[in-house]
Amino acid sequence: MSTLERLSTIVAELLRDDVRRVLVGEDVRQGGMLGLSRVAMRDPSLSSRVLATPLTPAASLAHATGLALAGRRPIVALASATALLEGYAALRELGRISATSAGERSAPVLIVAPTGPGFGLGGDGAASPDGVIAGVSGLRVAILGDAREAGAMLRAAANFEAGEDPTVLLLPRALLLREVEDGEIVETLGRPLCAARCVRDGAAATVFAWGAAVDVACAAAEQSGHDAAVYELGGLAPLDVEELVAAAAKTGKLVIAHAGGLSFGPGAELAALFADRAILHLDAPIVRVAGREGPLARADEMSGLPSVAALVDAIHQVVTY
Amino acid sequence: MEDCPWDPEGVEVCLDPEGQLVDRRAAQGVDLRALYKRLVAARCLDLRVERLGLPMWVSCAGEEAVSVLTAMLAGQEDWIYPGVRDFALAPIRGLDLDDFARQILGIAADGERPYNGRPGALAAADLGIAYAPEPLGLHLPLAAGQAHAQKLAGNGRATIAIFGEGLTTTAFFHETVALASACDLPLVLVCKSQLWPEGAPAEAGLLGDSVAERVKACGLWSRRVDGADVVAVHAALDQALRRARDARGPGLVEVVVTQLHAGTTDADIPAHRDPIERLRRHLDREGQWTPTFQDVIEAEVRGQLERAFTHAHAKEMGR
Repeated sequence: MSTLERLSTIVAELLRDDVRRVLVGEDVRQGGMLGLSRVAMRDPSLSSRVLATPLTPAASLAHATGLALAGRRPIVALASATALLEGYAALRELGRISATSAGERSAPVLIVAPTGPGFGLGGDGAASPDGVIAGVSGLRVAILGDAREAGAMLRAAANFEAGEDPTVLLLPRALLLREVEDGEIVETLGRPLCAARCVRDGAAATVFAWGAAVDVACAAAEQSGHDAAVYELGGLAPLDVEELVAAAAKTGKLVIAHAGGLSFGPGAELAALFADRAILHLDAPIVRVAGREGPLARADEMSGLPSVAALVDAIHQVVTY
Repeated sequence: MEDCPWDPEGVEVCLDPEGQLVDRRAAQGVDLRALYKRLVAARCLDLRVERLGLPMWVSCAGEEAVSVLTAMLAGQEDWIYPGVRDFALAPIRGLDLDDFARQILGIAADGERPYNGRPGALAAADLGIAYAPEPLGLHLPLAAGQAHAQKLAGNGRATIAIFGEGLTTTAFFHETVALASACDLPLVLVCKSQLWPEGAPAEAGLLGDSVAERVKACGLWSRRVDGADVVAVHAALDQALRRARDARGPGLVEVVVTQLHAGTTDADIPAHRDPIERLRRHLDREGQWTPTFQDVIEAEVRGQLERAFTHAHAKEMGR
């Protein structure tokens, strides 16, 4: 079973588990752009809660917000994370619902959107607007870093275990196409959504990465010949500040790796956090390695991810500083 | 009746400029005296709030038929997504005046000043009144979502969203019309169209003078009525709400209003463009209006408002 097929099964499960849930999207009655609603549409008891809406980039997120305010639990299936930029005003409003009602009303909307390169689309279909989305206050922004955890992360996000904040779950396209053996599937996340975790231990340097950059970071740590640790962020909002600061203080030599362009990216936020909270532990300047600035041509879209070679250089640079 | 450039064309008249009830059937079962009191109270509210000097504030005198009748016709479990100037509906829905004054001033019950949307915005979730978000027109798709939930619940409830015609050029408006139409939502859009006696400037975005006609082309049921004719507004809103509750689909009621205090040409506006004056003429004809009646309503409302705003200011100072 591919990762996308597995996610489709879990979406059906989620609809079955809680009758308040509805799946919303433009083409969800036809299976959805990612096929996420395929299994649910085969079950007549669920298909009435699969709500197809016309293409309404500005209104769709507000429509989902209205559904949530009325007690529903909408799961919005978007074709691309960049659709959130087309509906940015509504996304901002979703983030401040709680503030406008003095915390009395919440809008537990879950938005699921593929991000970054991987499908060969280039342009918006390869862009990584993670930072722009995480910059909207009031949202929880989680991002998948390990294809084996895709289903577990979707479940955790849909369950709103850590509170009813509207949540965006970003699924890197490069991970969605990865084949995962049935035996390797992680059924439950085993940590809170957006919690950071150590993927690879090491004492010489620490690489912080999220999304599709996690695998690149692991490959680079391996190839560098240095004893480098790799931390997966798990999410950008809220940042798992204490865990990240502790990890930074441990080696004092930090590399940050992420998809998308470098300028004004989330790497800057992280670097500022470490400068603020761990400056006395730092033994080298913080190095950021990102993808190429967009827009990316179809043929060249994988340059939207940091390269293993650039990361190997960065690790070497901080270790030998 | 002679032609007056301030009157909308092509609308059915129920209460004519002289206050004569042309269509008695339309007013059947409507307590016009009670309606009059509420309209006067709404005007008093508008005058009182205008005195606060809120930033970017514009008087809504002349538009009262919309807020008052929406509040009266919406069922207890229907939802209203008002614009920022439709606050007069809140006390009619049951919002306590102290709470009203505090919200208008942006003061919470504990005296704090939390983020409260646009100045003058208010909300009461327990009364089915949603807050007015800052992005222009965003409350329309929010209302569509609320209506969608009502449809899924199959509970025979409806959602009403109120806005001005200026928003009908926005993506939010067009997308909401598409959503409501495609998903067949129990949503009533109430559009207050300003009247331009010398023709609307292009930037007013009227795009053909009638919002009602425009949405008809999108497959929406719609009616255009004169906002100075409260009986006609009552009939159209009532019909739109009944259709929505009976799952007969979304609708739009375009209410043509004259902003009495907003422009510089106040003096030119004929008195019959004021919905309150027109209904007063009617009550007077029927022997149901006296200057004392008027004085008593106004004095009562003003007294209540002064008390409420005094309490609110005291909260602010005592913080």
